[in-house]
Amino acid sequence: MRHVAFIARTVFVQNNDVESACKVLNRILGKEGILEQYRRTRYYEKPFQFRRRINFERCKAIYNEDMERKIKFVLRKNRLDPYPGCL
Amino acid sequence: MLPPRLCFGIERLCGFYVNKLFITTTAVKFREVEDRRLMLRSLPAPDEGTAGEKAVDIDSQLAQKADLFPDIDTPTKLFYGIPFKDIPICNIKVSPNNTILCLTDAKGVPKLLRSCGVEGFKHTKKGTNIAAQATAISIGLQALEQGYKTIRVRVRGLGPGRMSSIKGLQMSGLNIASITDNTRVSWDPPRPRKAKKL
Repeated sequence: MRHVAFIARTVFVQNNDVESACKVLNRILGKEGILEQYRRTRYYEKPFQFRRRINFERCKAIYNEDMERKIKFVLRKNRLDPYPGCL
Repeated sequence: MLPPRLCFGIERLCGFYVNKLFITTTAVKFREVEDRRLMLRSLPAPDEGTAGEKAVDIDSQLAQKADLFPDIDTPTKLFYGIPFKDIPICNIKVSPNNTILCLTDAKGVPKLLRSCGVEGFKHTKKGTNIAAQATAISIGLQALEQGYKTIRVRVRGLGPGRMSSIKGLQMSGLNIASITDNTRVSWDPPRPRKAKKL
């Protein structure tokens, strides 16, 4: 992860509001999984731990995908016939 | 008594006239705003006080792209009258047990160095946010004495001093132009040390 200094992972401070700039930076780092990767590589992860983590992530992704589909289905609003099944 | 709109609604619902005396409603009379949704909209959003709760705000800010991130003209852009590439740098190395601040000029030649240990915090006290803030304030004041007014901050590592050292630099009176994260992250690192036993 070597990039040009002060171009990558940089946020400008606006109106001397350091806190919100930090928040934006941390939010981006967290979202991209950079902080997670940093924390994970502090100590060696044994192969069995690696396997378990990958399997867990897979299951979670499948569950999330299906759940998102289900929520979308339940919350669907714009139907051609607003009262399907009613006379 | 019942508002007329509600009476009309009940009449229509039942299909015949309902004597309003039969219906006992007290809550409707005392409620100031009839529509619950309207009332909720007028209330301020609840702040639960934890980091990440206001994440929606940040996302909308990111969507606006309100001049937050560097672009091709950044090195020549003026911050407090100085082009970005000539602003002195404050490197902050944060670790769980210490915080080291090093002020360098724009080329990267070190000028001032302070750490929590130098500041007088010893042992576990070095690795606290209070120590980091005190250290940042002292290096900031020293920098102001030497004529530095604006700096860009480069943070490396995670630890208790990450936020508070930046805050301390601001509290000392320095202008912070930008914040950069310089944490070393690798996706195929050499084998790290063995995990701690729990």
